[in-house]
Amino acid sequence: MALLVVPACLLVLALLVGPMVLMFRISLEQFSPTELMIATVSPDNYVRAATDPYYQEVILSTLGVALLCTALTLVIAYPAAYWLARLQSGWKSLVVIATMFPLLVGNVVRAAGWMALFDRGGLVNQTLLAIGVIREPLALMYTPKAVVLGIIAVVLPYMILTISAVIESIPRDLEDAASNLGASAMRTFWRVILPLSAPGVAAGSILVFVLCMNTYATAVLLGGPRFKMMAPAVFDQFVRGNNWPMGATLAFMLLAVTMTFTVLGSVVFARRYRVR
Amino acid sequence: MISRRRFLSAGAGAAAALAVNVPASHAETGQVVVGTWGGDYGQLLSDLIDKPLLAPKGVEVLQDVANADPRKTKLLAERQSRRGSMDVACLSDSDHYIVAATEAFEPVDAAKVSRLDKVFPELRTATAIPHIYSAQVILYNTNQVKAPPTAFADLWDPKWRGKVGLVDILYPNNTLAAALAGGGSVSNFDPAEQKLMELRSLDAKVYPSNEALAAALKSEEVWLTTMWLARGFMWKKSGIPLSHVVPKEGAVAIVFEASVPRNARNKDGGFTYLDAMLDAKAQVAFADKMGYVPTVTDAVLPEELAKQVSLGEADRAKLLKPDYAYQAQRSQRTLDFWNKQFKA
Repeated sequence: MALLVVPACLLVLALLVGPMVLMFRISLEQFSPTELMIATVSPDNYVRAATDPYYQEVILSTLGVALLCTALTLVIAYPAAYWLARLQSGWKSLVVIATMFPLLVGNVVRAAGWMALFDRGGLVNQTLLAIGVIREPLALMYTPKAVVLGIIAVVLPYMILTISAVIESIPRDLEDAASNLGASAMRTFWRVILPLSAPGVAAGSILVFVLCMNTYATAVLLGGPRFKMMAPAVFDQFVRGNNWPMGATLAFMLLAVTMTFTVLGSVVFARRYRVR
Repeated sequence: MISRRRFLSAGAGAAAALAVNVPASHAETGQVVVGTWGGDYGQLLSDLIDKPLLAPKGVEVLQDVANADPRKTKLLAERQSRRGSMDVACLSDSDHYIVAATEAFEPVDAAKVSRLDKVFPELRTATAIPHIYSAQVILYNTNQVKAPPTAFADLWDPKWRGKVGLVDILYPNNTLAAALAGGGSVSNFDPAEQKLMELRSLDAKVYPSNEALAAALKSEEVWLTTMWLARGFMWKKSGIPLSHVVPKEGAVAIVFEASVPRNARNKDGGFTYLDAMLDAKAQVAFADKMGYVPTVTDAVLPEELAKQVSLGEADRAKLLKPDYAYQAQRSQRTLDFWNKQFKA
């Protein structure tokens, strides 16, 4: 049976672990504008990045956006997931496909569409100006709000589908039993449904948090050049600055922060909702 | 394992091989992979060079379309490989300098590129042909700006508060304009840092792309910018009410170049392509469509077009050539300042 995992393991080793080992080695080298990098083994890049107030701010901003988006996505997705899980109509498969539909559209294409809608000369501003609601175009693009809304729209299907799959496995009889014993709908939710769906909430939140931490296209296209997140900062160092050692260092810092919060989140969830 | 070149050419190559019933390897001998920008530039290469000049010679051109940054990164990453993925790499002069410093490109000489003797001497380099060029000028909205600025320094006038727009990806050029405005030079960016902070306090807007800046100029969100004259020509053609000023401090030249990587698989094909890029007729057509000026002496522009895209005699005297070595050495500081201070 163990042989069944060999292809997957080989794939991960070749396409994930291999490049990561290489990147870690590069992160210990020294940048040179003319030679790209000079071979050495030094923690200088890590020290510089960790002590640079700019990167501290970028990390905090990334964490803040990711946590806020995860929380808002959870709040928006849970009722939809519950409804989807309990839907018994013949249309259910169509609703599932409709939920997945946003995943079929690339982030860049989606964000480009939003730019056409929300830009200063976009459809929303033009319409509001035409009907006299506003006199000056509103600044809808290049704001933190635009980024948060954009990210939520991207990650919402992941949260809905993950939670919905877990709620589907909770027998409806349990809700009926709670109701028969006099529990209100709210009490049934807090004491029965939410604890039993906790694994879905945890899995969905972790998945969404990781996606939010690594957001690139939405942050760049909707946040504009002044919005700070780690993935664009990594890109900046690798591609615009040709500073591969610093780019690799920032990538590992992003990975470390993401892993730390993911593990912490998993532990907290496990303790809070463990089966007694 | 299928190579990238084979993958790119799978459709065309297989179809051609089947059609003429020749082995695939034979059909590939005249194939050139050109790393280039997409959009208008890529389309014009295809329309003006690939199809009319190279197809009749049996050269099949495959475009590897990407922005300059990924292409530069790819060239640097591949430079130790025995076989690279491009036969021709198109880059701006500044980017070419950085990659050429790693000895990634083949030398260019008249034996390999027969039209090299037609190239303006000041545009020649050891490892590239200059394809087209333009100059960094001030663009302004003619509806809103009645007394246009005459120098980069004028963009710092408080009366333009919130009306100056810059493109994020052109940060090295914006930094150079700020340096010139502050009394610096192509070899001294020190004054740029204070000038950029002053511009920031004057609510200068930063846009992620040229297209975003064009939209802002069109909607009159901003009225002034510093940009290539050629780009201004294209925007004017698209209906944006713009005019340009060659700044007193001097107009910085930008040359778009093309080179053959040392590890190109089809070097002969690459040099054939470089030669075709210097075709006079094609260069005039590029000027007409994109506003970039020819780099060869026998490409003469119609008078009306020349007025719009070329610099006059007096302005040409003020054309500044970037100090590539200085720019490269200072690149990290320039990027860090732009990101950490100016955009913060």
